Amino acid sequence: MSVQPGSALWLLRHELRLFWFSLSSGKQGALRRPAWRVLGGGLLVWLALHAGVFALLDAIGPMGMPPRQFVIAVSALLLSTFLFMLSSALKRSVETLFDRGDMDLLLSSPLPSRSIFTVKLAGMAFGVAALYLFFLAPFAHVGLLLGQLRWLALYPVLFALALLAASLAMLLTLALVRVLGARRTRVVAQVVGAVAGALLYLLSQAGNLMAQSGGVASSASARVMASLQSVDPGSLLFLPARAALGDGPAVAVIAALGLLAGLLTVRWTHRFFVRGLQQAAGSARAAPRAGPVRYRFDRGLLQLVIIKEWRLVWRDPHLISQILLQLLYLLPICFVVFRNNQLQLTIVAAGLTMLCGSLSASLAWIILLAEDAPDLLQSSPARALTVRMAKLGAAVIPVGALVALPLLWLIVRAPLAGVLAALTMLGATVSAALVNEWTGRPATRGEFKNRGQRGVATRLLELCSVLAWSALAWLLQRAATGAPASLAFAAGLGGAAVIAFGILPLAWLLRHRVR
Amino acid sequence: MPDTPALALTGLSKHFGRPAVDGLDLTVRRGEFYALLGPNGAGKTTTLRMVAGLLAPDAGRIEVLGIDLALEPIAAKRKIAYLPDDPMLYGKLKPYEYLEFVAGLWGIESQAAEPRARELLAWLDLEKHAHELTEGFSRGMKQKLALAGALIHAPELLILDEPLTGLDAGAARQVKDLLLSHVQQGGTVILTTHILEVAERLAGRIGIIQHGRLIAEGTLDELRAATPGATLEDLFLRLTGPA
Repeated sequence: MSVQPGSALWLLRHELRLFWFSLSSGKQGALRRPAWRVLGGGLLVWLALHAGVFALLDAIGPMGMPPRQFVIAVSALLLSTFLFMLSSALKRSVETLFDRGDMDLLLSSPLPSRSIFTVKLAGMAFGVAALYLFFLAPFAHVGLLLGQLRWLALYPVLFALALLAASLAMLLTLALVRVLGARRTRVVAQVVGAVAGALLYLLSQAGNLMAQSGGVASSASARVMASLQSVDPGSLLFLPARAALGDGPAVAVIAALGLLAGLLTVRWTHRFFVRGLQQAAGSARAAPRAGPVRYRFDRGLLQLVIIKEWRLVWRDPHLISQILLQLLYLLPICFVVFRNNQLQLTIVAAGLTMLCGSLSASLAWIILLAEDAPDLLQSSPARALTVRMAKLGAAVIPVGALVALPLLWLIVRAPLAGVLAALTMLGATVSAALVNEWTGRPATRGEFKNRGQRGVATRLLELCSVLAWSALAWLLQRAATGAPASLAFAAGLGGAAVIAFGILPLAWLLRHRVR
Repeated sequence: MPDTPALALTGLSKHFGRPAVDGLDLTVRRGEFYALLGPNGAGKTTTLRMVAGLLAPDAGRIEVLGIDLALEPIAAKRKIAYLPDDPMLYGKLKPYEYLEFVAGLWGIESQAAEPRARELLAWLDLEKHAHELTEGFSRGMKQKLALAGALIHAPELLILDEPLTGLDAGAARQVKDLLLSHVQQGGTVILTTHILEVAERLAGRIGIIQHGRLIAEGTLDELRAATPGATLEDLFLRLTGPA
């Protein structure tokens, strides 16, 4: 198909081509050559998904009016999908505004800003929808094959939701630029995106906890469920679910809503998008603060390295939000402590041990492996061992500081349990940090979120270590509180201890091979 | 020992599949401003990185002010500062915090480091940016700050890889003045550059390498002696051009 050079369609084709290169090579800016093994593997998984869906839809057969419970479940699924899409779209809108890529080239060309914005928004929507299409498109394809045409609705519904999420994300990011300025927007939008992704998980966990805790909260939760049961199936609340299940008018409404959101976003904000880009270009420079400089040249090397590492992490709110996001998923474990006002030592100890291991692993990765100026350290006369020890200290000290209070509380409340928990927490913290030190590969801070892709072995060892120490903590607490002795229990305890203590020698042995 | 050269390379070799540095012999005297020239891929950066202790040579010997780098790396590194073409900075640190850190790495006493840091920041016109994070700095500002970091411990041997790339005229002048001042105070400077005019104006001696070997060396006049009237550019192109 011949497309007029410089038109929105031409630009969209270019954008899709770039997306394909980044997808197929697994990394932006990487070689254009597709990673055939990855693509082949992906295709196999996709075909397997089709087969699974075929078996499922064939067994179910043509569905008439879907039952209310099913509609409620689909609604919940779509809500979570939308929140994840929004989270992903916020990340992409920040990338579009701040990482720029080809934006300087595009903006300096004679292309109208409206075309550029339209294509960027469409590209964002497509990128956001891609993952969900991968998993849900087999329903549409198999549905078509089996004559169950209602499943075809998934395509327009997913695209509409993605367009809605992309529009909302772009509007929110641009609004933040207007209100907070470009410099703060980057951080705030990234944090909002991270929290949006975790929101549904936290809500669901809160719901579970409330349901189990009884009392007022439980009745509130029950009231929500009861009110959903009594809502008219034709209500607007269930419109997205009805659309996804193939209700024609609902599909039309959802698709129209998505398109309208996209069109209005383009119409109203394409000029501000350009202004936002211009602001973002000069956002990194902070306003200078008046006042004399207070030099501190009297610190020793250990202290200097630790302070430098903490400054670098503390001044990177995006990184902090990513670290804390991991911990967000552990929060429900902490809530368990207070369930029924009963202290559940086993879960507290295991939860705190897991928290220590996860946090220590993250900080160790950032501080030990994502060094910004490795050549500076290597070309200096500072002893490498001293620098490494300082870095390890910088990684584990904050973990200790964070859990000191709950641990103290635990020790006061139940001394034996507290001491056992302290030991497993120490083990998990040190083990996770050393696994990174010995087997991790040098990286950049920007790779933190995808660090598992760069160092599979390290991530695997780290996960095994955290899980083994948490299991050990749980089993030790059970033993200390008089759990009935059994062969299975002893085997579990022994197994967890062997893995927990065995990870470090294994990491030590692998240290040269993995690097 | 004033007769000891600032840098002596003997039979230095490094291979990355193919030879990057191939039996290089090079001597730089104390108090000298030495420019190392060569086309892209000639082995300049690899040589400097080996001297800075960032790469281990496959063969050969590196002596920094009489100290064998392989035997006493820490003692040798105390006397060197290395400034790569891509400045080694921390985006989330402020200039004075960066200088504090670098001074700490080289173990400089605070009585010496503080006035030196103030002097360098003032000289390089970075004082007014002291409270800003370096991630917002321009290329020139970053390069100047990295140079301040390299000079904070008053190194006897300063090694710079393309220090003037991307600098505006004003910043380039500041950097050149600082380097000349370093040499006037008895320090030694070795730099690589693609700007031949810089080598022509600043360097006392010039070395040209190609395929990891030194193919010509001498003062500008010595190099010109064979081809009277030729510019350094003419000589460089004649020596490194296709045979």
